[in-house]
Amino acid sequence: MQSRWDIGEPERPTINAETEQLKSELLRLNMGPQHPATHGVLRIEIWTDSEIVAHAIPHLGYLHRCMEKHTENLDYRGIIPFVDRLDYIAAMSMEWGYAMAVEKMLGTEVPRRAELLRILTGELQRIASHLMAFGTYALDLGAFTPFLYAFEMREKILRLFEEVSGARLLYNYIWIGGVWNDWTDEQLNRVTAFCDEMEEEAKKYHELVSMNKIFIERTANVGVFTVQDCFDYGATGPVLRGSGHKWDLRKNMPYSLYSEFDFDIPVGIAEVGVVGDCWNRYIVRMKEVIESIKIIRQVQAKLEPGSIMGKVPKIIKLPKGEIFMRSECPRGELGLHLVSEGPEAKTPYRLKVKSPCFTHVSMLPHAAPGQMIADFVATVGSIDIVLGEVDR
Amino acid sequence: MHNQLAELINKNVLGASAVVNKTEDAKTHASITVEASAIYKVAEFLKTNTEMPFNALQAVSGVDYLEYIEVCYIMGHFDMNAPRDLILKVKITDRVNGNVDSIVKLYPAANFQERECYDMFGIKFNNHPDHRRILCPDDWEGFPLRKDYIAQKTYNGMEVFPDSKSNMEDREYIVRQGMIKKAQEGAANKVQ
Repeated sequence: MQSRWDIGEPERPTINAETEQLKSELLRLNMGPQHPATHGVLRIEIWTDSEIVAHAIPHLGYLHRCMEKHTENLDYRGIIPFVDRLDYIAAMSMEWGYAMAVEKMLGTEVPRRAELLRILTGELQRIASHLMAFGTYALDLGAFTPFLYAFEMREKILRLFEEVSGARLLYNYIWIGGVWNDWTDEQLNRVTAFCDEMEEEAKKYHELVSMNKIFIERTANVGVFTVQDCFDYGATGPVLRGSGHKWDLRKNMPYSLYSEFDFDIPVGIAEVGVVGDCWNRYIVRMKEVIESIKIIRQVQAKLEPGSIMGKVPKIIKLPKGEIFMRSECPRGELGLHLVSEGPEAKTPYRLKVKSPCFTHVSMLPHAAPGQMIADFVATVGSIDIVLGEVDR
Repeated sequence: MHNQLAELINKNVLGASAVVNKTEDAKTHASITVEASAIYKVAEFLKTNTEMPFNALQAVSGVDYLEYIEVCYIMGHFDMNAPRDLILKVKITDRVNGNVDSIVKLYPAANFQERECYDMFGIKFNNHPDHRRILCPDDWEGFPLRKDYIAQKTYNGMEVFPDSKSNMEDREYIVRQGMIKKAQEGAANKVQ
């Protein structure tokens, strides 16, 4: 079997014409697995010619737990804590995607209040996740202050989630058939206050970071993905939208109650650079925060007292067949391919997780050649990866 | 949609013999099975045709049924006017040397996805540009998501699956389900 150290020197592209005359050898560097700019345990092997990257080869698997094998020995309810641990920054969205897949096969009706509470938590989670992306991205590029601002606001969401579900990061809150716990009026009032505050904060972020000269210099025209690249590599979420393609499952293939809501899909624009660069992926996330606030306000207007759990049998047994369920998570589309053997089996026969970050990491070797090392760090940060989901 | 698409594939790709796996109710999704030898041409047709194109490959998954391993190509069309999904399957009966043509040239997304499928199920992808394991270490033995897989006891001198720590309930569960036995019976039948 071929070892990962025996790949040999890759073919050398003409990337650095000025110093080409020096005929220096390519230098092989390891970025990671403990590099702070890789957001987790990702190792990228980069081949550089002085400061310019010739090749980038991601090496995955440092956080591989083979969660897909675990699920084959667990009952359908027991899997929810496991899907939490995929994307630990946005655990609510993962739970929701899984619960929807099982409910679709089971034919369960979810009560209206439960659906609205799911949208509420899902959108709050999206804001929390994008705040994390905003803070750490600025940190990658050398700005420390935005990180503190972002975590101050994120903490407010985590406090709410902790009160409602009992946990700060891994919630086990969205259950099959509904949600576990109801929100009190006092908590919902705090959500309203949070939305007002967040809108004001977002303006501050735009002044501090988005239109900052240094930030624009670092991100505009860097790491450009065209729409065709995104289709080729199957990219979704802010990466696809940052490239200017208007595609959001919440609008295009509405699930849950999203068809009742009024919101826009922000896409990349050629404001400071070209469409599809790092700045666009960043700004799409920041605009989505505003759209999420819009949705949360509409949810609060629609909320009425009612049941939060539908009728689900004690032991869940799914009919024979398979399903591929997609849902829009903060980082892109989560797809769950769930195969059931029939009503005798209490466990899934196979659960494949199509993770958005895995596909985005596969775009890095395409983006890297010809970039400066510092620009490559900016590109890695802009796709906002979570390694729990890449390695599963 | 599946019937129409299967007809289109059969009309345009020689030797594809596309079959629709129908579903009884709306709770589950239908799929299309094609011949493993024709997968490259089918994928090429799906990407380039004008009637029902699929512009993205979302995932390459596998399911081990013991008699055969199924490779599922999950396609998607990211277009706001006509969004659609497709589960395209090929069956591979050879558990030792099972192979199928790679579609990396058509969909670069298949690069990592096929590597994952090889890592987990041991299906070889012909003409793949970088055919290595992706999640497990390169010298790991066996393919974890196969139903008859039992983890190796030591890895490079380290004890990774000692009897004292291994979950015997899991092993007994596998035996109770008769999965290994079923696999052996399936193999024996083929020899006869």
